[in-house]
Amino acid sequence: MSEIESRVRIVVVLPEAFAGGLAPVRDSCRTLDALARLGSEASVEPAASLEAAAAEVRNADLLVLDGSPPAAASGALEAARAARVPAVAVVADSGDADAVAWFRLGVADCVAEEGGALEALPAAALEQIRRGRDTRQRRSVERRLAWLENLNTTIVNEIPAALAVLDTERKVVATNPAFGRAFGTGVRGRPLAELLSADLWESADFGTLLDRVAAGEAPAPTIARGHGSDGRAVVFDVRGQRLDDAGRLLVVLADVTEREMLARRITDLQRYNENIIQNLNSALLVVDTEGAVTFANAMAAEILGEPGGVLRGRSVWDWFSTAHVQGGLLARTLAEGSRFRGAETMLARADGRAIPVGISCAPLVDADGTRLGAVAIFQDLTEITLLQRQVLQTEKMASIGQLAAGVAHEINNPMGFIHANLFQMAEYLGDVRRLWTQVGDVRKAAGSSDAPALARATETLEELARELDAEYVLTDFDKAIRESQEGAERIRHIVRDLRDFSRQDRDERVAADVNQCLDSTANIVWSMMKHSVVLRKRYGDLPRIRCNPMQLKQVFMNLLVNAYQAIETRLAGTGERGEIDLVSELRGDRLVIEVSDTGCGIAPDQLDRIFDPFFTTKEVGVGVGLGLSTSFSIVQKHGGTLRARNRNGHGATFELILPLTPSEEVVAGEAG
Amino acid sequence: MSGSPPTVLFVDDEARILSALQRSLRREGYRILTAQTPAAALRLVDEEPVDVIVSDQKMPGMSGLALLAEVVRRRPSARRLLITGWPEEIPPEQVEALGIRAVLSKPWDERELKEILRKETGTGT
Repeated sequence: MSEIESRVRIVVVLPEAFAGGLAPVRDSCRTLDALARLGSEASVEPAASLEAAAAEVRNADLLVLDGSPPAAASGALEAARAARVPAVAVVADSGDADAVAWFRLGVADCVAEEGGALEALPAAALEQIRRGRDTRQRRSVERRLAWLENLNTTIVNEIPAALAVLDTERKVVATNPAFGRAFGTGVRGRPLAELLSADLWESADFGTLLDRVAAGEAPAPTIARGHGSDGRAVVFDVRGQRLDDAGRLLVVLADVTEREMLARRITDLQRYNENIIQNLNSALLVVDTEGAVTFANAMAAEILGEPGGVLRGRSVWDWFSTAHVQGGLLARTLAEGSRFRGAETMLARADGRAIPVGISCAPLVDADGTRLGAVAIFQDLTEITLLQRQVLQTEKMASIGQLAAGVAHEINNPMGFIHANLFQMAEYLGDVRRLWTQVGDVRKAAGSSDAPALARATETLEELARELDAEYVLTDFDKAIRESQEGAERIRHIVRDLRDFSRQDRDERVAADVNQCLDSTANIVWSMMKHSVVLRKRYGDLPRIRCNPMQLKQVFMNLLVNAYQAIETRLAGTGERGEIDLVSELRGDRLVIEVSDTGCGIAPDQLDRIFDPFFTTKEVGVGVGLGLSTSFSIVQKHGGTLRARNRNGHGATFELILPLTPSEEVVAGEAG
Repeated sequence: MSGSPPTVLFVDDEARILSALQRSLRREGYRILTAQTPAAALRLVDEEPVDVIVSDQKMPGMSGLALLAEVVRRRPSARRLLITGWPEEIPPEQVEALGIRAVLSKPWDERELKEILRKETGTGT
């Protein structure tokens, strides 16, 4: 039958199903025959039982019930009703009791047998199928509408933006809860202009905006700034939409105060960072993995000697030599991502000047850990280096001042005998001159061939030689000269040592013998202390290390002078001699140098202050208080440590530890 | 002094100083003794008729003042002179207490030294 537009499914309950699933009888075939006339598009499925029918009817378009009693079919009918599937019953007579019962149970139609045939069944079935489909369709649309309505309500109620529907007079018709929270509730009928603060209204030019929306335009969202009902500063994103032909408008006010604040904070922060970076007293250079500059602050340009120059894109190796140890460190940061801090290096400025800088480097990585390059921060150390040198020199001169007395004594003795010898030699020369004058008389007499005169002159010469003890004079003259020469040589040595020590040092690192440094310093200081100190030396076998010998000597000098002064403090005037032990030894991978004395020791509360700058226990004029602090920083620059402890009994021990292989920073620092 | 020449003892830890002193005074007619340590000096003071002792101040083990104090005990008759590079460091009260006749500065003045010795030995004017 052409009336079936799409495939339908008909579940049929035959009389035998009522009877418990017996084999079909002739009667039922008549029902199936009638339904077969619906054509191949109709799938007719006899149910095996009423329970099976109830289960299958949910996916069917029609339920056909044939045979009595109707009451037994109520379960299947119930399932059909729930699924909005119509049911048709086949009855013997349309007026019989069964028909009434079927209708009561809710079947949509009853078809009666007429003359042994069910002529009306196909049409009735078709009719019910159509109706059932309509019902189900309508129901689906209704559900969808209800869902949409519900969604709209939820959105309107839950959306954080304030919504208001306005009428043509711009009076509020409806609002959502967010509007109520922002601008007050119970505002229906009031003009929107009254609900918003004046500054908010003006800043977004609401009047014009609403006019344009009402005219059907779609103006771009506007930002309104002003004050909220609670007086705090607020920012709204304002949008409008014409709702319907009646001219009603929807106004959406989204509170973006926080977003605006965040945005401003980000801007502020950026400006703040920019300010810091640009006004930083240090140079900041950001480079990519190739060493090309991606960012440089003003100080970087200044230190690199490129004020106003474009640094972006330039190679960092224009200023930092790769050949240099430090350049190597920077290269390593770029290649391996290692970081280093506070190293010193030289930098080649654009104007050709080389200046010392202190530099720290760190790798620059993105959120995924990919290396993007490196950040280098550096400072011009020119002035600091100069000052450091001055301090070192000042301190050294102070130590030399303390030495001066001892050295003067050491010079004074040779001066004493040279002085006396010169006086005596002048007398000897007078004697020699008298002899020479007499020799002249002898030569004159010899020339005149006057024999008696010659004999007289010779006699006089011999008398004079006897009188003056010429033999002795010549021998002792010679001895006086040799002794004086030796004295002068001693003075020369002392002065050379002192000059050597006071020389401004050039901050060079060389491989040096620490024992030799220790010993030559001890020799200089010895003259000062030899009358009151017994100095014992015990030097171990030490390998040469890379160090600044001048600076180490200064440290040793300081420790020795301190030891001597501590001994003087305790023992001066007692006639007792103090003791200083100088010990050097190799302990594993470090050199240990100990200077121990039997002096006054260090007060326990001062033990941790003695290395502080300007801390001194000495009288004014004896020390400036920089000795130990300078020593400490020298040792630190060598990657070592300097510690002090009191000994049992009297005195203190200073322990200086130097690494065999100085740390990288130290090697690196040698450029300074 | 009659007969034998006056005996003058010089004490200094520096041999060259002693040598120079001897050289200076060769023609002064003294019997000159020298000692390089205070201990050796004290032995000579005990054994020899020392008339004048001239001691250096700074010496290892014992200062010149301490030595002269000991000389006061052992041979009070010996005239005592001190020689030092830093005369101003010698306390005058000790000079007086020990009866030190003069404190000479080092380097010394030849004429002054000779004059003082002449005076102390009674050989001069």
